[in-house]
Amino acid sequence: MIDPFAETDSDFLGSTLAALSTVAPEEALNSLGWSDLLPHLDDADARQALFGLFRAQGRLLVNSSALATLMAHPYLANGWGSTSHVATIQRESPRHGSRTVIMSTPPIGNLLIDRPGEGVRIVASSEVAIRPIDLPGHVNLQEVEVDLVGVPIAIPEEEAAILRAQSQYLGRTALAFDMLGASESALKLAVDHARDREQFGQPIGSFQAVRHLLAWARVDCAALSAVAEQVIDSEEQFLPGYDAIVKALAGRNGQRVCQRTLQVLGAIGFTTEHQHHHFYSRILCMDSLLGSSAALSYELASKYRTSMGAFPDVTLHAAVQAN
Amino acid sequence: MSSTLQGPVDAYADVSAFYDDFERWLAAGPPELVNAVAPETSTSGQMAGMRDLMKALYSEGWSRYGWPVEMGGLGGTIYHRAAMWEALARSGVSKMGAFEHLEVLGPTLLSLGPAEFVSAVFPRFLDGTESWAQGFSEPDAGSDLASIRTRATAMDGGYVVTGRKIWTSWAHYATWCLLLVRTGTAESRHRGVTAMAVNLKSPGVEVRPIAQADGNDELAEVTFDDVFVPADRVIGAVDGGWAVAMDILSHERGTFPWFRHCFLTSQLQEEIEFAAPHADALLADAILDLASSGAASAAGLQSHNEDSPLGPRAAFTKLLLCSAEQSLYDWTIATDGDIAADPADSSAMETRQRYMFSRIVTIYGGSQQMQLDTIAKRILRLP
Repeated sequence: MIDPFAETDSDFLGSTLAALSTVAPEEALNSLGWSDLLPHLDDADARQALFGLFRAQGRLLVNSSALATLMAHPYLANGWGSTSHVATIQRESPRHGSRTVIMSTPPIGNLLIDRPGEGVRIVASSEVAIRPIDLPGHVNLQEVEVDLVGVPIAIPEEEAAILRAQSQYLGRTALAFDMLGASESALKLAVDHARDREQFGQPIGSFQAVRHLLAWARVDCAALSAVAEQVIDSEEQFLPGYDAIVKALAGRNGQRVCQRTLQVLGAIGFTTEHQHHHFYSRILCMDSLLGSSAALSYELASKYRTSMGAFPDVTLHAAVQAN
Repeated sequence: MSSTLQGPVDAYADVSAFYDDFERWLAAGPPELVNAVAPETSTSGQMAGMRDLMKALYSEGWSRYGWPVEMGGLGGTIYHRAAMWEALARSGVSKMGAFEHLEVLGPTLLSLGPAEFVSAVFPRFLDGTESWAQGFSEPDAGSDLASIRTRATAMDGGYVVTGRKIWTSWAHYATWCLLLVRTGTAESRHRGVTAMAVNLKSPGVEVRPIAQADGNDELAEVTFDDVFVPADRVIGAVDGGWAVAMDILSHERGTFPWFRHCFLTSQLQEEIEFAAPHADALLADAILDLASSGAASAAGLQSHNEDSPLGPRAAFTKLLLCSAEQSLYDWTIATDGDIAADPADSSAMETRQRYMFSRIVTIYGGSQQMQLDTIAKRILRLP
C-alpha cells in the first residue's frame, strides 16, 4: 500500500507510531519518556515529541492519559497539585447545559476542575462518579458527575486565569494534532479504496472527480500540518492567539477531509464494519471540546474586527529563528 | 553606486538585522516607495513605479543581498531576499510586477544559463534597467505545456525562431524573454523542447498587449517571425528545456508566495477598520486560509534555503496561496461595497482590480486542476 504521508513523516513520528502499535498506550508513553518532556515545553524538540504523540494517537485511533496530563501541566509547574493530577474540560451545550468531562484512560488521578470566574478546585477522583461515554473513535471520553457545592477553591481566579489560558493552549494544540492524525488516516483509507475499487472496468482513482476530491483532502491535511508545526517550531512557547487558529483549522479541515473521503468510499464508509466512521467521529468529538471550529472562527473574526485581538501573524523573522 | 551599506554579507549574516535596517529605511518614506505604493491602476504606471523602486533598492544595496557577488549581488541567502520582499509587502507594495521574474527566472538563469551571457545580463535585471518575460504558454499549449509548437531551427551561429506565445506577462516592458521552443520533432513532446533567451527588441518580434477584465494589460501575445537567436543564448541543454521549465516552476513557489502572503496579510490588517459584522464568517475563513498560506510558504522558503526541492509538494503552497487570496477578497467585497464605485476613484478602482485579479490566481502559473492532478498522481500515487 502507498503511504500518502511517507514523504513528510519525521523519524520521530515513525518511532511513536511503532511504540503505540505494539504496546498499550500507557506503556508506550513510559517507553517514550513522554511525561519526562513536560518540563521542557519551552524547547522546540520537546514540543515536537510531546505533540507528535497526539498525531500518532489520531493516526492509530488510540488514546491515553496524555491530554489530561498535558493540560494539567501548567498548574503543576506553578506549584499546584502533584503529578497525579489531571485536567478536566467543560463541554458546553445550550440544550443540555455544561458538563465536566475528562479525556483519559483509567485509572484517573485527582481532578483539576477549573471554572472561569471562580478558580480551580481539586477533587479526588474517588469522590466523584466517572462514567465512560461510549463514542466511536476510541476517544476515551469520561463524564464526571461532581457536586462542587462546598468544595473549596484551591487556586484563586487571579492566579488560575493565566494557567487556564496556557492549559487551553496546550489542549487545543494537542487536539489539533490528534485531529490531523485522524484526518491523515481517513485519507489513507480512501486512497487505498480508490486504488482497489473498480467500476466501469478501472480503479475509481483514475477518475478525475475522485482524484480531485482526494487531492483537496491532502491539501487540507498539508495546511493543518504546516500551521500546527509552527506551534512547535516557534521560538515562543505560546504564540498569542495561535491555539484558536490551529484548533479552528483542525475542525474545519478535519471535517472537510472526512466528508470528501466518505464520498470516495461510498456506502461502505458509512458502515460500522469500516474504520472510516471511527476517524470521523473522533474528529467530531474533538471539535466539540475546547472550542469548536465554528465557535473559534466566530471568536477570531469578531475579536479581530473589534480590535480586541491582534491578528496572529507569523513573520519571516519567526520563521528564520525557528530554523 | 551610492551604497549606504558597507562591508561584506557577514555584516548582515543575521537576517533579522537586515530586515530591521531595511524596514527603518522604508519607514523614512523614500520617494520611490511612496510612488510605488500610491494608487495606480494602469499596468504602465505600476511598472514604472516598480522599476524606479528596484533601481533605488539596487543603488542602496538592499536588493543585492541574497544574490552572488559575481552576478551583481552582495552574497547572502534566499532569506535575505524573502526579508526584503516581506518588508516591501508590509509597506504596501502589492505586486513584484515584472520583477517577480527576477525571483522566478533568476535562480534558474544563474544555475543553468551560460555563465558569460548571464553575468552580462543579470546585473541589469537586478538593478532595474532591464526586465524579463517568460514565454511558455501558446494558443494551443496551456496546461499541456509539452505540446508547444513555436519552432527553433538551427542555422549558422544560432537558431531561427518562428511561432506564437500568449499570456506572456509584462512582455511589452521586457527586454528579454525566456522562451520554450520546439527543437525536436512535433511528436517529441517534452523531450524535444529547448529553453533560450530571446531579445524582444530583435527584428521579427511583435508584442501585442491584451486588455484584461481587471482593467490591466500586463498580459501579451508575442509573435516570432524568423527571429535570429545566437547559439550562446540557450539555457540548459539543447532538447533539455523541460528540465529548465521544471526548475523555473519550482522557484515560483519560493520567495513569491511568501511575498504575496505578506502582502495579503497587510491588506487584511489595512481593511479591518472597514469590517462589517455580517461578513465575519468570510473574515474567519480569510484568517484561517492566510494562516495556512503563511505556514506553507515559510516551509517552502526553508526547503529552498536547504536546497531540498519541494517537488510535487510545491502544489500545496500554490493552492493554499490561491485559497487565501480568494478568501481575502471574498471578504473584502462582502464587507465593503466599493466594487460598484466610480472607476474614476482610484482607490476604489484598486479594490475592484485586486478582487478581479484574485479570480485568475487559480488559472495562471499552473491551473488549480493541474495542481490537483499533480498531487493525485505524484503524492497520492493514484492510477
